[in-house]
Amino acid sequence: MSAVLNDGQQARTLVSLRNLNKHYGDFAAVDDISLDIQDGEFLTFLGSSGSGKSTTLSMLAGFETPSSGEILVNGASLVNVPPHKRDIGMVFQRYSLFPHLSVRDNIAFPLAIRKRSAAERDKQVDAMLKLVQLDSFAHRRPAQLSGGQQQRVAIARALVYEPRILLMDEPLGALDKKLREDLQDELRQLHRRLGITIVYVTHDQEEAMRLSQRIAIFSHGKIVGLGTGYDLYQNPPNAFVASFLGNSNFLRVKAHGNGAASFEGQPVAMRLTPGLAEGQEVLLMVRPEKALALSVEQAAREALPAGWNEVTARVGEVLFLGESQTCSVVTAGGTAMTVKALSAAGMPMQPGDTVKVRWAVADACVYTQWAESDLNKAAGAH
Amino acid sequence: MKVAINALQTPSGAAAGAKGAAMKHTPPLRERWRGSRNLLPALLFLGLFFFAPLIGLLLRGVLEPVPGLGNYEQLFANSAYARVLFNTFSVAGLVTLISVLLGFPLAWAITLVPRGWGRWLLNIVLLSMWTSLLARTYSWLVLLQASGVINKALMALGIVDAPLEMVHNLTGVVIGMSYIMIPFIVLPLQATMQAIDPMVLQAGSICGASPWNNFFKVFLPLCRSGLFSGALMVFVMSLGYYVTPALLGGAQNMMLPEFIVQQVQSFLNWGLASAAAALLIAITLVLFYFYLKLQPESPVGNSNAR
Amino acid sequence: MLLTPNAMSRRLRFGLYTTTGVIALFLLLPIVFIVLLSFGSSQWLVFPPPGWTLKWYEQFFSNAEWMEAALASLKVALLTTVFAVALGLPTAFALVRGRFPGREMLYGLFTLPMIVPLVIIAVAVYALFLKLGYTGTLFSFVVSHVIVALPFTIISIINSLKLFDQSIEDAAVICGASRLQAIVKVTFPAIRPGMIAGALFAFLVSWDEVVLSVMMASPNLQTLPVKMWTTLRQDLTPVIAVASTLLIGLSVLVMMIAAALRRRNPVSA
Repeated sequence: MSAVLNDGQQARTLVSLRNLNKHYGDFAAVDDISLDIQDGEFLTFLGSSGSGKSTTLSMLAGFETPSSGEILVNGASLVNVPPHKRDIGMVFQRYSLFPHLSVRDNIAFPLAIRKRSAAERDKQVDAMLKLVQLDSFAHRRPAQLSGGQQQRVAIARALVYEPRILLMDEPLGALDKKLREDLQDELRQLHRRLGITIVYVTHDQEEAMRLSQRIAIFSHGKIVGLGTGYDLYQNPPNAFVASFLGNSNFLRVKAHGNGAASFEGQPVAMRLTPGLAEGQEVLLMVRPEKALALSVEQAAREALPAGWNEVTARVGEVLFLGESQTCSVVTAGGTAMTVKALSAAGMPMQPGDTVKVRWAVADACVYTQWAESDLNKAAGAH
Repeated sequence: MKVAINALQTPSGAAAGAKGAAMKHTPPLRERWRGSRNLLPALLFLGLFFFAPLIGLLLRGVLEPVPGLGNYEQLFANSAYARVLFNTFSVAGLVTLISVLLGFPLAWAITLVPRGWGRWLLNIVLLSMWTSLLARTYSWLVLLQASGVINKALMALGIVDAPLEMVHNLTGVVIGMSYIMIPFIVLPLQATMQAIDPMVLQAGSICGASPWNNFFKVFLPLCRSGLFSGALMVFVMSLGYYVTPALLGGAQNMMLPEFIVQQVQSFLNWGLASAAAALLIAITLVLFYFYLKLQPESPVGNSNAR
Repeated sequence: MLLTPNAMSRRLRFGLYTTTGVIALFLLLPIVFIVLLSFGSSQWLVFPPPGWTLKWYEQFFSNAEWMEAALASLKVALLTTVFAVALGLPTAFALVRGRFPGREMLYGLFTLPMIVPLVIIAVAVYALFLKLGYTGTLFSFVVSHVIVALPFTIISIINSLKLFDQSIEDAAVICGASRLQAIVKVTFPAIRPGMIAGALFAFLVSWDEVVLSVMMASPNLQTLPVKMWTTLRQDLTPVIAVASTLLIGLSVLVMMIAAALRRRNPVSA
C-alpha cells in the first residue's frame, strides 16, 4: 500500500503521516493511518461520510489533535504547531469567506495578518484576482457573488500567501454539476501551473478521478486503497475498493489448483494466484464493461477465444442508457451479473433469453479474503 | 476514573516523547472540558451574587427564628396566609386564561393579514412589551380609578349608576396583569402559527373536514405547543409578579410576592418570608421544567458543529 | 379553508379583524393615554384634559430629585450594559463552542435569574447587601441589575453565534491569524447584531427595573423607576406621566434602533 509516483520525475516526500490515530471515546475516527504525500502531487482522500477522511484533513490543518501518531512535514513534526503557524492553505466546504470584508480584503487578509507592506499586498492580491479571473469583482461583498465565484475567492485567499500545501475539504460539493466540472478543470490547470501540493477531500469518485494523480480510499478510519485512479479501478487491491469504485460483478468460485476453479460446478480459468488451497473459496471480480453477453446463436458462431471464460445465464432486464446499454442476467446458480456495452455494439436480447457471458481471464481480479459487507459498497456515480 | 488517570499520566509523556510515533498528544480531561474556562467569570459572578444569597435566603426559612419547619407550618396553617396562596393562584390562573383568550385572536390575525399589517400589529405588541412596566401600570391606575376615564364612559353610557371599584382590589390586578401578559402569549403563539404549513390545512379540507372541524382537529392541535408554552410562561410569571399587584391591588387581598416583601420590610420576619419564597421558587421551577419539556430544540445545540 | 383570509367566510373574517383591532387598541390605549396626560393641564388627571400645557415637564426638569434620579438611571443602565455584555460574551462562547458535559444544564443555570421571581432575587440580594452594608450604593444597583440582564445578553449572543459558521473563523486561523485574532477580526463583526441586541436588552432591563431597585435604593441614590414608585404611592401627580412618557420614549428609541439593525442585518438577530 505504499505506491509511489514513478513518472520519471524526482518524487520527494513532503508530508508523512505515521501511525496516525484519532479516538473519540471508544470510537476510532482515524485508525492507524500511515501515508506519504509527495511534493507537488494532487492527492485525493475519497470515502463516504464518516470514513475518517475529513478528520485526517482536520489533523493536517491542525483543528484536531491526533490521539497518537506523527505528522511530519519535511521531516519536522507538525503536531504541536498551532494551525495558524502551519503555513498551510485551506479551502472549506461552505467557502467560509469573511462576510464583512470585500473580495479584495478577503484575499488580502492573510497578508495583512502577516503584516506585509501595503504595496506588496496590493501586488499579490492583484495577481491572485487575475489568476482566478475575478478582477472586476474586487469590491463586492461575498454575499453578492455566485457560488462558483465565492469558491474562486476562497481558493485565491488560500493561495495568496504561497503555502506549501493546499487542503481542500469538499470545496465543490455545494455547486451544481456543470459548474463543478468547469471548476474541476480550472483546478487541475491551476495545480499544473503552480506545482503546489494539494490534498483534496471528496465523496465523489468521478471528481476524484478527474482531479487527482493519486487517490487514497478511506473506510472506517483506514486507508483501504492507494494509487492512481487507473490502477485502483482496473486492479482494485481488495473487494471493498472494487465494489466502492464503479460497478462490479462478483463470482464465488472454488479453486482447483493454480489458475483453475469451478463456478457453480462449471470449470473456469483464473489468473495465476499463488498460495491457494484445493477447494478454497475465492472471489472473482469482473467489471461489467469487460464482460460480453452473446446470444446462444452468436456464441455458436463465434468460438470461445483462448484465455476466455464462458458461463450460461438468463436475461433479466436490458436497459438503454444513451451511450451505453446494460443487461442484467442471472446464472443457473442464482449469481446476478451485469454486462455493459456501448450502444453502438448492439445487444439484441430479450428478457428471458438464454445468453452466454464471456470474460477474459486477465480481466478478472482474484480475491482470497473479503467481508460480505464489502460486496455492495457501490457509492454510485454522483 | 480512567479519564482522571490518563490526565495524570499524559503531561509527562508528552514532554518526554515529543518524537515518539505512538505518543499521546492531548490530555483527555482537557479535551473533555474544552472551552469551559470561559464560563468562569459569569459563574463566579452568579455564584457570589445570585446563588449564594438565594441559598442563604432559603436557609433562613428553616433556621429563623428557631431551627425547624415552624415557618412552613405557619404558612399553611394560618388562614390569612392560606388566603394569600389562594389569591396568588386564582389571579395567576385568571390572568393566564384572559391573556390566552385575547392573545389567540391577535396572534392568528397577525399570521393572516398581509405582511405589512402583520408587521404593524407585531410592532404594537413589542412596543407594549418593552414599554416601561411602571408607566403602563400607572396608566391603568389612572384609567381605572373612580373618577377615571373608564368609569366616566360607563356612566355616560348609562351602563352603571355609580363608579365601579376597579383599583385597589383583585379586579384591578387581573386587568393590569392580563394586559401586561398578552405579548408573552402572542409572540410564541404567532411563531408557532407562522410555522404551520398552509398546505396541511388545505389537505384537511380536501379530506372533507368542515371549517370548524379543520379548526379544532387540525389547526388547534398544531398550535398546541406554542399555546401551552406561552400559557405556562404567563402563569409562572404571574405567580411571581410584584409591581402591578402592589400598585393596582389592595392591602387586604395580597399575593405571594407582596406578602414576601411585607414580611421582610414591615415585620422583619425573614423566616416566614423565606418559607414563602421557597414555596414560590419550588412551584416556579417545577412549572419551568414542564415548559422546557415543551421546547423542541436544544438551546445550545450548534447547527454547524464540527 | 381557515388559514387564508380570502377563503374565510366574510362574517368570520370581519369578526376576527374587529376583535384584533379592539385588542390592538387595548394594547395601545394605556401608552397613548399616558403620553397625552403628560401634556394635559389638569392636576387631577381629568380626561380629556381641559387644556394643554408643558408645565409638568417644567416641573420635572426643574426638580433636582427627578433629574438626579434620571441621571442615576442612565448611569446604572450603562454600567449594567457594559458588565452584562462583558460577562455574557465569554459565557455564550463557552456554551456554544464548548464540548463539555452538562452544557444544557449550565444553560439552564445561567437563565435561572430570568425564571426566579424578581421579588425573591431582590429579597435575597437585599439580605446580602444589608449584611455587607452596601445597600444604596451604585455597586449594589449595578450588581443586582446585571444578575437579571445577564440571561438576555447570553441568549442574544448565543443565538447569533449559533448562526455563525465556525469554519469562517477556522479559515482566518488557517490564513495565519491566532485564535484570538480570528475571533476579534472575523467572529465579532459577524455576531455584532447579537451583541448589540444583547446590549439593548440589558439596557432596557436595567432602565425599567423596579423591584430590585426599590430594595437597593436609599434616599441618596435612587433611579427613575424608584422615584416614580415612591411618588406614586403618595399621589398620582401628572409629573409621573412625564417620567412615564420619557421612559416610553426611550423604549421606542431603543426598539427603533433594534429594528434598524435587523433591517441592515436580516440574517442574524
